[in-house]
Amino acid sequence: MKNIGHFFLAGALAVLIATTAAGTAAAQSSNQSAGRSAEDIIKRADEAFTGSQVYSESTLTIHRSDRTLPVQEMESYGMEIGGDYHSLSIYRAPARMKGTAYLMIEDDLWVRFSSTGRIRKLSSSAKKNAAGGSDFSYADMGEGDQGIGEKYTASLAGEEEVDGSLCFVVELKPKPGRDAPYEKVLAYVQTEKYRYLKVEYFDAGANIKTMYLSDYRTVDGRDYPYIVEMRSNTKDSRTVVETAKIEFDSNRVNRRLFSTTYLESIR
Amino acid sequence: MEKNRNTRERLLDGWGRWTAENWGKTIIIGLAITVLLSLGVVMLRVNMTFFSVMPEESEDVKNLKYITEEFPYASAITVVIDGRGIKNTGEAEAAVKGTVDALTEEFGGEEYAKWVSNVTGKMDLDFFRDHGLMLTEAKDIRRFADLYRDLNIVPFFTALNDDFEREYAGNEENLADDEETAVAQFRGLDRLFGLLTEAAASSATSTSAAEGGTGAESGAEGVSPDRIEAAVDDFLLGQPYFLSRDNRMALLMVEPTFTVNDIGLLMEGVNTIEARAGEIAAEFGVEAGLTGLTTVARDEMVTSEQGLVASGLIAIVLILLLMVFSFRMFSSPLISGVPLLVGIYWTVGLTGLTIQRMNIMTAMYMVALVGLGIDYGIHLLTSFVQERDDGAEFVEAVGASFRKSGSGIITGAVTTAIAFFALQVSETALMRELGMVAGLGILSELAAMFLLVPALLGFREHRKVKKGKTEARIFKKIYVRNDLAGGFGNWVMKMPMGVAIAAILLGILLTSGAGRVEVQQNLMEMEAKGLTSIELQDTLVEEFDLAPDGLYVFSDSLEDVKKLEDQLDELDSVKRVESIAPFMVSASEEGPRRRELESFRASLSGTTAAPEVDGELLLEELYRLEMNLVELGDLAFLGGMEKISHTLNKVTGRDDQGQKVSATALDGLIELLEEDPARAAGLVNFQADLVSVLEGRLQRMSSTDRIDLEDLPGMFRDAYVSSDGSEFLMMIVPTQNPWEPDFRDIFTTQVESVTDRATGMVLASSVLNDMAETDSTRAGITALIAIFILLLIDFRNLKLVVLTMLPLLFAFGALFGVMGYAGIKVDFINIIAFPLLIGIGVDDAVHISHRYRLEGQGGIARAVAKTGTAVLLTSITTIIAFGSFIPSPMRAMRSTGIVLPVAIGFAFLFSILLHPAMLQITAEKLKLNIQSWKRRKL
Repeated sequence: MKNIGHFFLAGALAVLIATTAAGTAAAQSSNQSAGRSAEDIIKRADEAFTGSQVYSESTLTIHRSDRTLPVQEMESYGMEIGGDYHSLSIYRAPARMKGTAYLMIEDDLWVRFSSTGRIRKLSSSAKKNAAGGSDFSYADMGEGDQGIGEKYTASLAGEEEVDGSLCFVVELKPKPGRDAPYEKVLAYVQTEKYRYLKVEYFDAGANIKTMYLSDYRTVDGRDYPYIVEMRSNTKDSRTVVETAKIEFDSNRVNRRLFSTTYLESIR
Repeated sequence: MEKNRNTRERLLDGWGRWTAENWGKTIIIGLAITVLLSLGVVMLRVNMTFFSVMPEESEDVKNLKYITEEFPYASAITVVIDGRGIKNTGEAEAAVKGTVDALTEEFGGEEYAKWVSNVTGKMDLDFFRDHGLMLTEAKDIRRFADLYRDLNIVPFFTALNDDFEREYAGNEENLADDEETAVAQFRGLDRLFGLLTEAAASSATSTSAAEGGTGAESGAEGVSPDRIEAAVDDFLLGQPYFLSRDNRMALLMVEPTFTVNDIGLLMEGVNTIEARAGEIAAEFGVEAGLTGLTTVARDEMVTSEQGLVASGLIAIVLILLLMVFSFRMFSSPLISGVPLLVGIYWTVGLTGLTIQRMNIMTAMYMVALVGLGIDYGIHLLTSFVQERDDGAEFVEAVGASFRKSGSGIITGAVTTAIAFFALQVSETALMRELGMVAGLGILSELAAMFLLVPALLGFREHRKVKKGKTEARIFKKIYVRNDLAGGFGNWVMKMPMGVAIAAILLGILLTSGAGRVEVQQNLMEMEAKGLTSIELQDTLVEEFDLAPDGLYVFSDSLEDVKKLEDQLDELDSVKRVESIAPFMVSASEEGPRRRELESFRASLSGTTAAPEVDGELLLEELYRLEMNLVELGDLAFLGGMEKISHTLNKVTGRDDQGQKVSATALDGLIELLEEDPARAAGLVNFQADLVSVLEGRLQRMSSTDRIDLEDLPGMFRDAYVSSDGSEFLMMIVPTQNPWEPDFRDIFTTQVESVTDRATGMVLASSVLNDMAETDSTRAGITALIAIFILLLIDFRNLKLVVLTMLPLLFAFGALFGVMGYAGIKVDFINIIAFPLLIGIGVDDAVHISHRYRLEGQGGIARAVAKTGTAVLLTSITTIIAFGSFIPSPMRAMRSTGIVLPVAIGFAFLFSILLHPAMLQITAEKLKLNIQSWKRRKL
C-alpha cells in the first residue's frame, strides 16, 4: 500500500501550481536604467510574482506523448494573512473533479474531494513534489510569494535573445545552506521590461526542464504572464497553464475562504 | 621516366599478347588462384550486425561485449504476446496468459535445448513468499505490522483504511513510484470483495434454507480456502505474469544459448523461436513478436543480407546490360563479367586469409566492387575496340590495348588501392578492415581483369575463327562510339573561363550547405523500416513502461551497486534502476529488519479468528474503503496514471468521468449488508479461513532467513549476476527513448555525473560515430597525402597534381552541401563514401590529365573526347553499383546508396567540367608548364 499516497500529493500540487501562477503575480512596469546587478535583475523580475488578494480563472493542460490529458479548469484565490500566504483552488473541470478543492496555508495543505465530500490533510512535503501528472513543481513557480530567485545566488552570465527580445541571462546557484531544488537555474529576463521569458532548470549537469512565460498583459497596471508552459526535457511531456481571467486586489478574495469550514461548503 | 614508361608499356603489351594467345593456360592459372583463395573463403566469418562493428578499442564497447557474453539476460529474446485484437479485456488477458504458459512449456522442451537455455513467463513468487518482508525497509515493515496487527475482517479493513489515509498525508520517503504493485493490490482487493460477497450471499442463502428446514449450516458451503489463498496472493504479491497496462499483452523472456556474436545459431535460433511462438500464439487467437538485442541483430543480418543480395543482383544486371549497350557486343557481359565476379571471389578469399571476417561495411563494399572492378574491364575493352576500329588484328589489338590503357589503369588502381590501404591508420577496426578489404578488392579486380579479359577475348576469338566468322563481321558487332564527349571537349576549349567560373560557383553554392550536415545518432533510424523487432521496442515503452536501450554498469561489489543505484535513482532522466541490490540485504540493513520481523512474527502468532463479524462496523469500513478508492481513482485520473485509474474505475464501477456505471463486487457486499447487517455473521467461516491464510502467508513472508545469491530466482541471477558470479549488473532505465539525441545527451550527462562506468548500445554507437568521424578525417587526410605523393611521382609536376586533385575537393564540398540541404545525416555506414570518394573520385581527373599530356598543346578537346566516354561509363557503373543500395530495406544502406552516387556524380561532373577548363586556362592561357620536371615543354 505504500505506493498510493503520492498520487494524492501529486494531484494536489497540480492545483497548487496553477494557484501560485495565478495568485501571486504582480509587476511594476517602470523601466529602470540598464547596468543592474544580477541580484537586482532577479529581484526586479521576481516582483511579478509577489502580491496578494488575487483571484484568477485558469486552465492547466498536460500534453503527454501524443495525447492530451483532460483539461483542468480552476478558480484560484490567494492572499496574505498575518504574514502567511493563503491560497484556495477549486476545480471547475473536468467533470470528475468539479468541486474538488485545495487549500494551502503556508506549508499546510488540505484537499476536499467532490466525489466523496471528504477533506484530507496532506503532508507538507507535498510542496516539494512534482505536481501530479504535470511538469511543474511548486518550487518552479517560486514558493508562495517568494519568487524564483529566493533560494539562489545570482550572477550575470551574459545577454541572449529569446523570441526576438534581448534578455539578461542570469545564472542562479543555490545559496549555501538553502534547500534549493535545482543545482542551477538559468533565468532569461527581458532587459527592457524585466520579465522572465524563459527559465531553464538544471540537475546533475543537464537541463531537465524549461519554463516559458509568455502572453504578458497589463492588468491593473501590473505585468502578468497569461501563458506559462513547462516543458520537460526528460519526459515526453509539457504542461501549459493559461490564465483566462485575473483580478488583483479582488473583492472576491476574503479571509473566510481560507478555512476547512469553507472547504466543506464548496459544491 | 620515358624509358621506364616504354619498358612498362612493352611489358604490358607482351602480357596482353601472351594471355590472348595462351588463353587456355591463363584461364587455368586463374582457376588455380581461385582454388587457392577458396581456403580464405572457408575461413571467412560473416557478421553483419551493427554490434559487430562497434569499436573494440573503446572501454564502452569492451564493457558492452563483456555484458552480452557474461550476463545471460542481456541476450534474452523478448517475446511480446499481443491480445489487443480481442475486444473483451478479460478474454484477452486469459488468452495472453494461456499463450505465455504454452510457450514456456514449449520452449522449455528438450527439442529447443540447442537454442534455449531458459524461459521465464512468470515471476517466481515463491521467492517473495519466502523473503518478501526481509526485502522491505525496516520502517515499511513497521507499517506493514500496523496493517496486519489484527487479521480479522473488520480490524483488517480498518487498518487498511487508516493506512490509505495516513499515506494521503504521506511521508514522502515512504513513497515509491511503483504503479504495478499498486495495481496488483487493487486487483487483489477486488478479488477479496468478490469472495466476501460470495460468502455473505451464500450464508444468506443457507440461512434462509436452514430456516426452510434444509439443515445446512451457516456459511458451510461458502468460499474454499484455496480461493482465499489465491486472492490473498494477488493482494500481497501481485500478478506473476508480465502484463501490459491494460493486461491485454504479456511478455515472455527466452534466454538463448547463443549471443549476438554466434551468427550461425543466431539466425537459426531466433527464426525457430519466432516461427513457433507465432504458431502457438495463433492457436490462442493472439499474436507474438520478438524483440531485444539478439532479435534486432538477427534482423540486421537478414535485412542487410537481403539488401546486399538485391543490390548485388541489380548492380550486376544493370552494369552488364550497360556493357552490352555500350560495346554492342553480346559477349561483353561474359568477357568483363566473369573476371569481375572472379575478382570479387578473390577479394572474399583474401579477406578470409587476412582478417577472417566480413562486416556490414566490407560486405557492402563487395557490391560496390562490382562498379569499381568493371571499370578496368571497360578501359581495356574500350581500348581494344578502338584498336580493332583502327583495323588492328586481334592479338595486336589486345597488346595495344594493354600498352595504351594498361599504364593508366595500373596507376589508377594502385592510387585507389593505396588510398584504401591508408585507412590502416584508422583507430577503429571497422575502418581498418574496410581499408584492407577495399585495397585488396581493387588489386584483385585489377589482377582478375588483366588475367582474364584478354584470355576470354582470346577464347572468344578462337570460337569465332572456329565457326568461320570473318574479321569484318566481328568488327561490325564490336563497335563503340569512342568520341562521344568530343563535342563537349570543344565547348570547354572555346570558353574555359566561363566553364571554370560556372563550375566553381556551383561548387561554392553547394558547399554552402555543408555546415548543416548532422551526424546520425539514432541507430534505430539506420535499421530497416517496419521491422517488428524495432516497432516492438516502442510497444515496450508504451505498454510495459520498459525502455529497450538503457545503460549498464557492472561492479564486483554489491555495496557499490547499492550506492550507485540510490544515486542513479534520483536522476530526472532515469525511470528506474534495476539490479540485484534490492534483493540482497546488507549486514547493516539485516539487523533492524530482523528485529522488526521478529516482533511482527510474534504478534502474528497471537492472531486468532474472532467468533463474530460486526456487520455495522464492517459496513462502515466498506463505505470508507470505497471513498478512499474513489478518491485515489480521481487523482490517478487527473495525473494520467492510466493503469491505476483503469483498475480503480473497475473496482469502484466508475467511468472516466467518475460516473457510476456498473455494479461491483464491493457494491454487492455493501448491498447485502445494508439489507441485513446481521448477514455479516455468515462471514465467520470466511474470516477463520482468511485469518488462517493471511497468518500463514505473512509468517512465511516474514522469514528472517538470510538471503543468499543461490536463493534468488534464476531470472534475477541471469539478469544481474555474471555467469561466474563475480560481477553484478545494474540496468539504468531511461524515462525516454535514449536514441533521441537531445534526451540522450541529458541522460548520459546525468548518469555520467554519478558514474563514468556506464555503457550501453547508445554510448557504444556514439563512440563508433565519433571514432568513425575521426577515422574518416584522419584516413581521408592520409589518403589525400598518399594520392598527392603518388600523383607527384607519376606526373612529376606539382601544378598538374594540384589541378588533378581540385575536382575531388570540389566534389567533397558539394557532397557535404547536398547532404546538408537534403538532411541526409552522416552515419557509420555511409561514411564509407568519404574514403571511397577519395580513392575513386580522383581517377576521372587522372585519366583526363594523362590523356591531355599525351595529346599535347591544344589537345584538350581530344583528351576529353578520348577519355570522356570511358570516364562517363566508369562513373555510370560506379553510380549504378552504389545506387543499387537504394532499394535496400536497411535505411543505412539506402542512405549509402544515395550518398555514394552523389559523391561519384560530383567527382565526374567536376572532373569533366572544371578540370579540362582549368587545364586549358593553366597550360594554354596562362602558359604554365604542366609537363613532368624532365620535360619542360608541352
